[in-house]
Amino acid sequence: MIEKDLLYTKEHEWVKITGNTAILGITHHAQEMLGDVTFVELPEVGADLAPHDQISVIESSKAASDVYCPVNGTVTETNDTLDAQPELINESCYKDGWICKLDIKDPSEADSLMTAAQYETFLKEEEQ
Amino acid sequence: MKTEFAFNDPSQDATGSVLHEEHLKRVSPSRLAPFAGYLMPLWFSSIQEEHQAVRNTAGLFDCTHMGVLSLQGPDAQGFINTVSTNQVGNIVDGQAQYGYLLNADGAVLDDIIVYKRADTDFLMVVNAGNAAKIKTWFKGLLADDYVIDRADPNRSVPFKPVIEDLCPTSDNGLVDIALQGPSSMALVAQLFDGEKDTLAALKPFRFIEGSLNGLACVISRTGYTGSAMGFELLVNPKEARALWSLLLDKGNPMGILPCGLGARDSLRIQGGLPLYGHELAGHYNITPFEAGYGWAVKLDKEVFIGKTAVIKNKAQATHQVIRVALPGGKGIRPVREQDPVLDAQGACRGWILSSAAAQDQQIALAYVNKALSEQGTPVSVYYLARSQGQIKKGRLKCATEQEFVKPDLEGQIVSRFEKF
Repeated sequence: MIEKDLLYTKEHEWVKITGNTAILGITHHAQEMLGDVTFVELPEVGADLAPHDQISVIESSKAASDVYCPVNGTVTETNDTLDAQPELINESCYKDGWICKLDIKDPSEADSLMTAAQYETFLKEEEQ
Repeated sequence: MKTEFAFNDPSQDATGSVLHEEHLKRVSPSRLAPFAGYLMPLWFSSIQEEHQAVRNTAGLFDCTHMGVLSLQGPDAQGFINTVSTNQVGNIVDGQAQYGYLLNADGAVLDDIIVYKRADTDFLMVVNAGNAAKIKTWFKGLLADDYVIDRADPNRSVPFKPVIEDLCPTSDNGLVDIALQGPSSMALVAQLFDGEKDTLAALKPFRFIEGSLNGLACVISRTGYTGSAMGFELLVNPKEARALWSLLLDKGNPMGILPCGLGARDSLRIQGGLPLYGHELAGHYNITPFEAGYGWAVKLDKEVFIGKTAVIKNKAQATHQVIRVALPGGKGIRPVREQDPVLDAQGACRGWILSSAAAQDQQIALAYVNKALSEQGTPVSVYYLARSQGQIKKGRLKCATEQEFVKPDLEGQIVSRFEKF
């Protein structure tokens, strides 16, 4: 359950970069580890974030998990549907369950992220 | 010269339970989490679905990691009465009893269930996470190693029963599989090889030794879900997989589901039942009296380890465990352990111990000042910071008693226990 055309982080976030826009969410593996998501704390539009800044907190009945910003950027839009339908993180983590969009300063930062193939290897290593 | 009892659990790699191969048929390895040295499923379908199955039909739980000890011989009853707070003399053959093991200072070492098979033959089920500690404690008591009485440091337990660890790797082993919920009687009755009337007449905290479809087991009307109907089945580890599969196959048409640790926690919280380390002992060093289980501590017993201390604790206790109902469901942030519980003025009077989602509600157990105890009293909760980002935004990391904080979520105190 890894999407081919996305980039990935070691914290199990996915990023889709088009020009200067990045869309961010969490991976299938991450949502499975969390279980039924009941609450998503979204970032504020306009927030300037650096790599490893906390961008969101996703809570299930058993755990609260931080979501980190993978690149330098400014939040331009958040997925407010998650306020009423946090389960979209479980049901559609790569599409309807996106968390926010960022205006990124340097698209070349994408080079520091993992490709789908690299993330797949990373997951296998982590499971052992 | 006796020593103080102290136990450091050696860290160990978690291994699969005796039902591991069965679990791998139903969940991916990533769904298994280490718990008390075993890799256990957190959930099979979802916590909520499994929780509802137990309330509406029944659920099956892998409790094979629980510790089971056999205590035998003429000294068995005297030993149990010395180490446990309850009066084992009050129960008859085929009856089970809840109680506490305390240390010399009255601190809870574990909560236990004792099964009386005969005057000289008992079983004791201890928590998985405490099994190694309790085995060490008992071994030391048999060897007169530990201080058991502060007033008389040379005192020993005079009873020396034969104690055997019925762990999953032992030939005589017994492991616990729990079937809980309203449909559990129908399923057990369908498989029971003996007189159906005997089973139907089995009352809570009573057990019989029989077999289900040829699989010998102790069939006990006990459980940890708050269900009015439910069984714990103690079976030889070699037959555990067969029993597990049998119950799931025959239970499937009835809507019975396998349940993981997640639902086990949410069900016991909803029922108001304590978990060692949370509502007993743990961060607040909670005693049985504070937890609402004074009835299981028989102060009229002449002797039990920790008696002097527990009498003092009872007299001095300022806080107690309560059950709280709060709004829940989609879009409402769950409360967590240590979140402050506030009175109507916004003053912190205690803290959340455990919490669980129950449909559109959250049910929490909290440790609060006795001033807040009456059912129906409004209380509120403040969400402590759970990440660096929230701390930066000014959220508190902790709150002390009487500190005023702004409430985030309003609810009320409900009955201490609830049966389903």
